[in-house]
Amino acid sequence: MEWDIASLEDLEHYIWRCTACGTCKVAYDFGPPSTCAPICPAGTEFGFEGNMSSKGKIAFARGILDGTLEFDEELLDDMYRCTICGGCQNQCQLDHKPFIPEIMEAMRRKAVEAGKGPLPLHKNLTQSLKDYNNPYQGPRRLRTDWARPFKKAKKPIKNIMKEPAEALFYVGCTGAFNQQARAIPTATASLFQKLGLDFGILGDNEVCCGSTAMRVGDAEEFKRLATHNLELFKKLHDEQGVNTIITSCAGCYRAIKKDYILSQDYDQMMDGIRVVHTAQYLHELMQKGELPITGELKTKITYHDPCHIGRHLNKFEVDTEGSELWPGAYLGMSEEDCIYEEPRELLAAIPGVEFMEMERNRSNSYCCGGGGGVMTGFGEWAAKNASLRVEEGMGTGAEVMASTCPFCNFNLGSGAQRIQSPMKIMDVVELLDQVITEQE
Amino acid sequence: MDTATAKKVDPVLLQLQGIVGEKNASDAKHIRYAYSYDLSFVEPKLPDYVVMVQNVEQVQEVLKFANQEKIPVIPYTAGTNIGGLCIPERGGILMDLKQMNKIIDIDVADGVAVIEPGVSHAQLAAELTKLGLRFGWPVGPPSASVSSCAISHGIGGLNARYGLQSQEITSMEVVLPTGELVRVGSCAIQKNAWHSTLPLPKLDGLFKGWLGSSGVVTKMGVNVHPAPPLLKIFTVSCETVEEMYSYMFNLSNYEICDDITAVSWWLSQVPIPYPYTPKPDDAAEWNSYATTFSWTEAERDARAEIWEKVVAEEKAKGSSIEITHYPEEALKGRTQLPSQVVGSTKNYCKQGGAGISWPGTFTPAKKWAPVYTRWREILIGHNLSPSVRMSMYRGVHYGMLRAMIPFNKQSKEETENARQAIVECLRVDLDEGGIPYKPPVDFAKEINLRADQGYLMLLKRVKNMLDPNDIMNPGKLGI
Ligand SMILES: Cc1cc2nc3c(=O)[nH]c(=O)nc-3n(C[C@H](O)[C@H](O)[C@H](O)COP(=O)(O)OP(=O)(O)OC[C@H]3O[C@@H](n4cnc5c(N)ncnc54)[C@H](O)[C@@H]3O)c2cc1C
Ligand code: SF4
Ligand code: SF4
Repeated sequence: MEWDIASLEDLEHYIWRCTACGTCKVAYDFGPPSTCAPICPAGTEFGFEGNMSSKGKIAFARGILDGTLEFDEELLDDMYRCTICGGCQNQCQLDHKPFIPEIMEAMRRKAVEAGKGPLPLHKNLTQSLKDYNNPYQGPRRLRTDWARPFKKAKKPIKNIMKEPAEALFYVGCTGAFNQQARAIPTATASLFQKLGLDFGILGDNEVCCGSTAMRVGDAEEFKRLATHNLELFKKLHDEQGVNTIITSCAGCYRAIKKDYILSQDYDQMMDGIRVVHTAQYLHELMQKGELPITGELKTKITYHDPCHIGRHLNKFEVDTEGSELWPGAYLGMSEEDCIYEEPRELLAAIPGVEFMEMERNRSNSYCCGGGGGVMTGFGEWAAKNASLRVEEGMGTGAEVMASTCPFCNFNLGSGAQRIQSPMKIMDVVELLDQVITEQE
Repeated sequence: MDTATAKKVDPVLLQLQGIVGEKNASDAKHIRYAYSYDLSFVEPKLPDYVVMVQNVEQVQEVLKFANQEKIPVIPYTAGTNIGGLCIPERGGILMDLKQMNKIIDIDVADGVAVIEPGVSHAQLAAELTKLGLRFGWPVGPPSASVSSCAISHGIGGLNARYGLQSQEITSMEVVLPTGELVRVGSCAIQKNAWHSTLPLPKLDGLFKGWLGSSGVVTKMGVNVHPAPPLLKIFTVSCETVEEMYSYMFNLSNYEICDDITAVSWWLSQVPIPYPYTPKPDDAAEWNSYATTFSWTEAERDARAEIWEKVVAEEKAKGSSIEITHYPEEALKGRTQLPSQVVGSTKNYCKQGGAGISWPGTFTPAKKWAPVYTRWREILIGHNLSPSVRMSMYRGVHYGMLRAMIPFNKQSKEETENARQAIVECLRVDLDEGGIPYKPPVDFAKEINLRADQGYLMLLKRVKNMLDPNDIMNPGKLGI
């Protein structure tokens, strides 16, 4: 399969569009009233201009390209001290805006190609991908541990390799292997069963989506996994009647929607298959009147927007040929693909829920701190940053911080634990599972 | 010895880490590299160390140490000055102050905000709006520092009413290059009184407008003002710079505006065309916006009546002036401040790419027309847009005359072309009595070439008194 994954050199023109104005350092809005808040987890923690936002990362990219900087240990550390959350990207207005996360990852890819990256802890992760097809060194058979209770309760989940189904529930490695995050696939499958959906899972045939490999710059490993998955998805569509892939993992969703399209065969492989996040899927059901919420939850809930199903899904319009402005000009951006409203509307639909919004929300959501390989490479900082987010949530008076990503869920959980916060971290699906009963 | 071991024993780094903590001092090349360039054409140069200070004591300790060792110190908050002022001429310690970012107090009754140097325009704006207060925001990046703008004689959106940002300074706390902590203005007499620099000797002048700084400001009081709710923007256009000057001069006599600004056609475009594009024949060469804020509709209408009278008077003189519609996006960017869009340089650099420099000057208003006419020739000659702004300052008939020149920084030739054009423009302005603000060293030298010898002697003597070892960002004064 052929892939169009840009090298740092391919992006050089865009790197030279950055004026170093530093507008990317804060989420500022004129309003009125004006609001202003830090947006960069790396800048918040490490503070030097190089650590700050896209301004800093582009400085590194320039230095690497002009030969001033070499991939030494300190540079590598700071290149990977970035959650690739796109918070900075959201502030920038110049032609390189659409390519900012791409520039950051291309820099990492260059380091990997040079045999210098990723960081040693990331290497464990990519090695695990090679050995186990998941980043958690989890033996294949453990992948379905979360599904055992269903079997026991005589409500087994279909194995889609054996039985046809309309929808594939693509679980993702974090939901499958991370003890805390397992509650998410469990609640998702429980809810789907209650709703009588025709779905199945890949079970121990599921392999990682490749997101983590891509985020840390290992394009080869990403391509291996993504190629496997694209071929598998096509096969499932052709042979098992799968038309929809549902995932409750923001990282997997982002990978399939935004990284897999870098394959030249994407359209052919995914022809007839729709990819949706659980929040979207449930929201659609709600709109059709097919989400019968019967219970109530008397609680104050805030919502944390995961970067991967939020601003990472911005659609950018670029004047590639130069027909409107000039070649490469950034023309505009649409948020229509970003999953901002669906989770909020689902939460608001639960009787008794009082919804509390944090100041940094939607496109200016403050990253939990776990993405871009940071949770693996810098676990302590990731949790520290998550504590900041939990504190922001506590400031609203919320008792529950809901999200839609197992990765955020785990990291926010660590953040809450770190500061002994009473905040409960839950997935939207977990909350819905509590208020929806079995359909007769 | 390998480089890693050599690094560990660098005594300067060890000393700095001892003061600010290991995490907050670095000599790593990539960290220094990110401070080695800015938007301007000034050639990149690396500092030797970067420290991120957290409090006044650390600022003092770093300066004492640097002074003792005669190591240059370059204060830095966001580095957006467009003059290469934070690019070290002689290496040294870059002192990043952005984490000293507390708004210490906003005293509504005194109309004073007391801030640390890292407080950004965005941060202060968010707090002031909660209190119904305002400040003269520049069109610069929201993340840039309020106090750095003020000590550099910056210009904001209330300059026609209250003057420059530096005229809004009410008191300061400063660490001298030798490490002593001093105060100027009322806070020097009563610790918590930040209301005024007068009637004491205006010692705040010792720390304002110095290229390269003469101390490190650690606290500053600035005037903040009640925000009237009704905004009216007077927009006109006309064909020639002479007509525009005449209108602005006339209107400024009535002192009814917060900001009276005119921009050439090229600057009213979003973005500034790069390279030069001829103006369409049917477009006016000059557009002006003048902002007024009023408390009541009657007040607003009275201001509008004066403005209409001014326009009528100008028409009677035969001016081509017309009440007009200013391009919406450009107008927003200049009146809804601080502005993320303009601050991110979109309106200026989006087409040019990465680079922007200016001949930014304080020039007698009567000279605007002749200087602009020459600038236009020079800039077009260099295939650059004559994207010029003229703004009236408070109660006096001089003001800002500047050309925002974007360029493609990826290309050495295009950068050099912009530099040459700008220096040429600057000479023209200096010869007409204008003075550049926040200028790069090239400009500082041009200023000093024309300076009175007594002035230069005084400048040196004061600098020497404050900074005997010439450690404060040396080389920027051009003397
Ligand atoms: C697009 C754009 C538009 C702009 N428009 C305007 C405008 O309308 N009006 C305007 O005035 N400016 C404007 N600027 C320039 C600049 O943004 C402002 O002057 C800004 O406030 C400077 O803040 P900074 O934090 O970037 O300062 P820096 O560039 O970091 O510092 C400025 C100077 O102050 C010194 N310094 C910093 N901190 C201290 C300290 N604590 N003590 C002593 N010296 C110190 C530095 O060494 C340097 O010499 C614009 C810039 C851009 C990019
Ligand atoms: S990335 Fe964009 S916002 Fe950030 S410094 Fe560069 S141009 Fe400015
Ligand atoms: S992507 Fe996120 S963590 Fe990385 S530089 Fe941008 S704002 Fe900071």
